[in-house]
Amino acid sequence: MSLENKVGAALFEVIDPELGINIMDLGLIYEIEVDGQDNVKIVMTLTTPGCPMHDSIKAGVKRRVSQIEGVGNIDIDLVWEPAWNPSKMSDRAKERLGFA
Amino acid sequence: MVISMPTGNSIQSNTNIKLPLAFILYALAAFVISQIILLVNSDLLAMGQFRIPDIWMGAHFLLLGYAVMVAMGAMYQLVPVALLTSIWNQPFGYTQFAVTAIGVTAFSVMLGVAPNQALYGGLIAIAGVVMFVIQMGQTIRKQKNKNMMTWFILAAIISLSLTIAAGFLLAWNLSIGGIASHGTILSSHIAFGVAGWFTLLIFGFSYKLIPMFSLSHGYSMKWAKPAFITYLAGLVILISSFWTDNALLEMVGWFMLLAGFFFFILDVREILANRLKKKLDKPFSFSLVAIMNGLGVHVLAFAFSIFGIQEMTVWGWLIFLYVIGWILFSILGYLYKIVPFLWWTHKYAHRIGQEKVPTLKDMIDEKTSVILFTLFIISTAGLTASGLLQINTAVFLFQGLLALTSLFYVLSIIRVLTK
Repeated sequence: MSLENKVGAALFEVIDPELGINIMDLGLIYEIEVDGQDNVKIVMTLTTPGCPMHDSIKAGVKRRVSQIEGVGNIDIDLVWEPAWNPSKMSDRAKERLGFA
Repeated sequence: MVISMPTGNSIQSNTNIKLPLAFILYALAAFVISQIILLVNSDLLAMGQFRIPDIWMGAHFLLLGYAVMVAMGAMYQLVPVALLTSIWNQPFGYTQFAVTAIGVTAFSVMLGVAPNQALYGGLIAIAGVVMFVIQMGQTIRKQKNKNMMTWFILAAIISLSLTIAAGFLLAWNLSIGGIASHGTILSSHIAFGVAGWFTLLIFGFSYKLIPMFSLSHGYSMKWAKPAFITYLAGLVILISSFWTDNALLEMVGWFMLLAGFFFFILDVREILANRLKKKLDKPFSFSLVAIMNGLGVHVLAFAFSIFGIQEMTVWGWLIFLYVIGWILFSILGYLYKIVPFLWWTHKYAHRIGQEKVPTLKDMIDEKTSVILFTLFIISTAGLTASGLLQINTAVFLFQGLLALTSLFYVLSIIRVLTK
């Protein structure tokens, strides 16, 4: 399994504490990039700017990824553009919210 | 293309949770104390006698000790979330808490036991509120992009200042005397407090909290500006009617307050229609029920002004309903979201991604909350009905139920802090 895939799989274990759904299914992760030195760059967002869980979720992502063997530096870029919208959620997340 | 906006650090809610929690814990204690005082004096409530020292004490423990302190604590947490600006000076916040807590306690107790000395306790409470106004004023000043929430919060803070100014004049009259128009100042004090400070504050924060808790996207907030302008104009007109003793002006004032409230509800409706979370959390739903209570009270107030109802007992119970059914119910519902969040942040935020941590929903007992909120509705409705009908035993029983429910509610909130 590539490191990108390992990172992606690990992020399924980071749960949004308000919604109880993992951040991958919520569509909060925009990009996962791994360079030649296995440094990881993650571009992510949150469901709303000023989300009170801002620090917790961002730190949680870093903590979980740092547990993967062989990972170099971890850089998390939290962005607000493009803004998160419901279409970014997986069907599983939509179902959990009673939306699908 | 992904445009990176390094705004993450500038919008984080970096308030130390000890600060809002200190306010909230004090407030919960004041809530139970207020209910016990009102229970002990339920015979006065039954007679519709609200302007009695013991009732002043209970009302001020309830409104200043509970509602204002919760609002202040919540604002320390929510202003950075809503306005995307960090609190101006947190160490100053701890001093403000201490001064306000001492002042509110001294003032409320003195209103009951030595009203002629209440002014001195009131002065300390005023110092605390002034410190809070400075704190929030400076925080808002730092906000780069002002929005409608800013204006609601700003107007609420100005209303709080005016409430306190009017309250100071009332306390001065009780202690020293000599200021005319005591009754008019009292009416203005109540209007600025409940309609200005609390209602505008709840309106403002609702525009952030309702979409956040219901996960709503794609709503317009198109009624926010009309709601703000109409409600504020209604408040000014209503207070003007007190000073000019003009019934027509009073009716127009109530109509505009009702219209402003209605515009706000139109936005809430749109936000909820666009929500992704179809099954809402029960405590949050209770805060939404409070909005309908608020609308109901505004309809009644407008109707009473049309039909020229002047009885103080009727207006006294309407103000009671406004305070409990709209303001307190909103706060009671939101606290079930705010306290678990604060405690979760304190206890579990540093463990997320490392181990399995509870969700916010796991921190509360939703089934118990449904029972408690149902009891709040029953006791408030029963208390109002038996108060209006002046049935002493029923007033005592329903106030007893309200006091007991308040106690269990506080215990259920404290239980969150053990998880």
